[in-house]
Amino acid sequence: MNINKSNPLLLHPLNKWMKKKKWSWFPHQIETFHHVRTGSDVVVFAPTGAGKTLTGFINPIDDLIKLKKFKGLHTLYISPLKSLANDIVRNLEKPIKELDLNISFQVRTGDITPYKKQKQKQKPPNILITTPESLALLNSYENAKEFFHNLKYIIIDEIHTFLDNKRADLLSLNVERLQTFSPNLQRIGLSATLKNKQDAKKWLCRKKPKIIFYENSVLPKIKILESKERIPWSGHMATYSINEIYKEIMKSKLTIIFVNTRAQAEYMFKNLWLINKKKLKIAVHHGSLEKNLRLKVENNLSKGLVDCVVATSSLELGLDYGDVEKIIQVGAPKGINRLLQRVGRSNHNLNTPSKAILVPTNRFEFIEAKAAIEEIKKNNLDKIDLKEGSFDVVAQHIFATACAGQFDINDLYKEIIKAYPYKKLKHNDFKQLINLIQDGGYVLKNYDQFKRIFQLRENKNIYKLVNKRETRKYRMNVGTIIENPMLKIKLGTKTLGNIEEVFIQNLSQGDSFIFAGQVLEFQSMKNNLVQVKRSKSLISKIPSYSGGRMPLSTNLANSVRALLAKSNMRDLYPEQITEWLKRQKNISKIPKKDEYLVEQFPRKKNFYTVIYTFAGWHANQTLGFLLLRGFKEFDYKPLGFVGNDYAIVLWSLKEVKEIKTILNLGLLDKHLDNYLEETSIVKRLFRDNAIISCLIERRLPGMEKTGKQVLFSSDLIYTVLKKNEPDHILLKSSYEDAKKNMIDYDRLREILKKIDKKIILKKLTCISPLAVPIILEINRENLSKKETDEYILEDLENEILKEANVL
Amino acid sequence: MYYKSINFGNEEFHAYPNKSLYWKRLNTLIVSDLHIGKSISYAKNKQFLPPYDTKEILNKIFVSLDKIKPSNLIIVGDLLHDVFSTLSIKDQHYKNLSHYMKNTDFIWIKGNHDKNIQIEGFKNFTNYKIGKFLFTHIPIKTSLFQICGHYHPKVKIVHRGKTIFKTSFVHNKKILILPSFGILTGGLDVHSKQISDVLGKNNLSIYPVGQDKVYKL
Repeated sequence: MNINKSNPLLLHPLNKWMKKKKWSWFPHQIETFHHVRTGSDVVVFAPTGAGKTLTGFINPIDDLIKLKKFKGLHTLYISPLKSLANDIVRNLEKPIKELDLNISFQVRTGDITPYKKQKQKQKPPNILITTPESLALLNSYENAKEFFHNLKYIIIDEIHTFLDNKRADLLSLNVERLQTFSPNLQRIGLSATLKNKQDAKKWLCRKKPKIIFYENSVLPKIKILESKERIPWSGHMATYSINEIYKEIMKSKLTIIFVNTRAQAEYMFKNLWLINKKKLKIAVHHGSLEKNLRLKVENNLSKGLVDCVVATSSLELGLDYGDVEKIIQVGAPKGINRLLQRVGRSNHNLNTPSKAILVPTNRFEFIEAKAAIEEIKKNNLDKIDLKEGSFDVVAQHIFATACAGQFDINDLYKEIIKAYPYKKLKHNDFKQLINLIQDGGYVLKNYDQFKRIFQLRENKNIYKLVNKRETRKYRMNVGTIIENPMLKIKLGTKTLGNIEEVFIQNLSQGDSFIFAGQVLEFQSMKNNLVQVKRSKSLISKIPSYSGGRMPLSTNLANSVRALLAKSNMRDLYPEQITEWLKRQKNISKIPKKDEYLVEQFPRKKNFYTVIYTFAGWHANQTLGFLLLRGFKEFDYKPLGFVGNDYAIVLWSLKEVKEIKTILNLGLLDKHLDNYLEETSIVKRLFRDNAIISCLIERRLPGMEKTGKQVLFSSDLIYTVLKKNEPDHILLKSSYEDAKKNMIDYDRLREILKKIDKKIILKKLTCISPLAVPIILEINRENLSKKETDEYILEDLENEILKEANVL
Repeated sequence: MYYKSINFGNEEFHAYPNKSLYWKRLNTLIVSDLHIGKSISYAKNKQFLPPYDTKEILNKIFVSLDKIKPSNLIIVGDLLHDVFSTLSIKDQHYKNLSHYMKNTDFIWIKGNHDKNIQIEGFKNFTNYKIGKFLFTHIPIKTSLFQICGHYHPKVKIVHRGKTIFKTSFVHNKKILILPSFGILTGGLDVHSKQISDVLGKNNLSIYPVGQDKVYKL
């Protein structure tokens, strides 16, 4: 049928409101209405500004009006962020209030009071807006089935953020639970544009799966900052361009500056403040700031009360800030999807293009920025790889299930393997996870007398919680997000936010650091509170946060390689970059798209090997460790390595002669286990696994553990377990997590499979221009990880540049 | 096994990387805070730590006894984690214990965790005096040199921008505190208020325990 001709939405209860607003229905809204009405589970892909939120609610509202005074919960809406959930309520309120529709709706997140939560359970609204964690909690209550048994729709917003992580695993299991409670439940996913739309469909849809998409024909206008300054070889702080960035802020009404790390955010904010002669209103926003401070910035942003906000990914998702005119991305884009998401924060209007300026902080990033712009023109997005679900999340889900009442393990298993991430979950692994929740799952020795869940005598398939008190422990432990040990920062009695314990440990009394845009002096630490006072010090450290490093996406990496290999450089780059690449061409080589350039040269008594893999940070770290081992075997006496997104450099006492023999797939197979053993990667992931699977507790009232103690005891558990029960399910789980996330195993494997035939080896007499950036990183590492003093870097840089004869 | 010599109260002691202390002149081995059965006592509250700690701690002791063959083994408190802990000591363990008790006196100074528990063959004391030395779980007011436990000392080391924690032996002129011999036991910073109240802040000798070696700071 041609749904465009006879638009059924013209009879929709919201049509009147649309008319009043002089808005018309989008084609994807009409399609969604049709397909959901005819029983399909759908995923809708549409850019911001295309009425995505409303799209999700079209069918639920229509249905609720038809049903007239429907009592109980009808539609569940899942948002990835609490703040987004609040925003949705505001958006839903407008049409429902203005049309005086008889539909109730409420939000339920960790932020609402226990009293309200209790009320909601007794008298649920028609539409409940919540998060994956709150849904998991709701499912763990004894009356969960009653609560959800009439549920008609579940809407999952920003579903692209839910495809490849543990939170997604948790959500997938809970959606299947809802489906069990209410077999007629229909699923509606809302997503930003995605390359592998089919994967999102597979993840979510069960009934008559349908993809609906609306592509934006207006391309964003993205350019690279034209700088008169010298673009540095290395570094990530963009100090060189600060004046030019300031000028760009002045040109626009409202600008968001996106940076890649919280440390960069603080640094950028501080530097802008130093040159803020026009007294612009500049704010900073990142995930470690106290909630109230963040809300204040968000509020000011939506009301247009600021001129500029420096932000991390904390401002990436959702919220509509209509007045944002320009996005400035400082630092490498890292991936096309992410860049698009960020760029889309400006101009929430479909017909005007978003405007963005990219500020590369070093020369490789310049090429990366250029490549990203090219790919966006071609609409070549990154693929999001679906991953197999993690075991620890299943364990937590089993615990939750037990909290809701006795259960049959066969029914539970059947339900779990309906969830896409767990399609391949083996029954044997599942059984081990049951045992894990029961009494720790130790095979050689067990706790007969102290079980958490137990089998009924009359039916061995039915398990039951030993006592009600355990439900409280589950509820304290719910969720998959484990933060690093954090300490609260107090300025007087005011809380500014959270800072990593590791950072504070490296401070002495009187040291100053930057946080929340202020220079603070460290005074004391007591009971997990860091007491600070304002400082006028000019020398200050910047807190680092270890989590969430995003490696360069494979897609973008390929594009960077292609761009680098193009011969007509002059049209592509400003002169300084062209000069750099031209010298590289003369001294060494610029690798072709599918070649892997390896350069070797002596320097300061050591021998250097640089490999340009473009494999991303994680894979390069792993490869670096593996090569160290390989070099040791050949007795080259390796001393160390440094890797970034693009390359690895290793230095050794002896000349590395057999690089082609060493650098291949065998390297991975031979040394990977050793690598995992020697670095603390698995150990660290074990801590997350132990907490998520509820083997150890996060925190309980009355036993305030500091984060450090949790870390410490999980290390001990890991050591004991590894020695006595190396096949334990949680060790297996941690190992799998490491392969999936921390070491980019598949990506590295792909590269090593084909690398040996494509190595281009260049023996040089000195460092090449292309190698300068990574060599500079060696010296930075050796200085001190926390050192951000650009002056010292510049000094070092000059020294090395003189050596390379490129000044 | 490598040890580090500690001079305390004009006597020579050997600090071993397995966290035991040996007084050579009197052929006496000293350990502290074993917390045997910590896992089982946590399991009672449904925190299922690996149930191998009792076995590992006892084996560690037995290895030491085989090597050193001391006349006395002094445990300066918290041999057991709590009254449930005995559940984790199996018949075989008791057999082994009584075997070693033939040649070694097992002197058990009671700590705050194991005050009212008995195990056959152990000689129980609240504290124990040898010459000018007093063995006690928590230090008391006395002019004697004291060797004690209780605090599980560890030391924070900041070097080249990295921070690590190591369990440690620590002493001042009059009091020496042993690290915990247990394997699921945490630690307390030697500069924490609790330890400073006992040892003071200055002139501490700190001996961090490494993998196979004891260091001195």
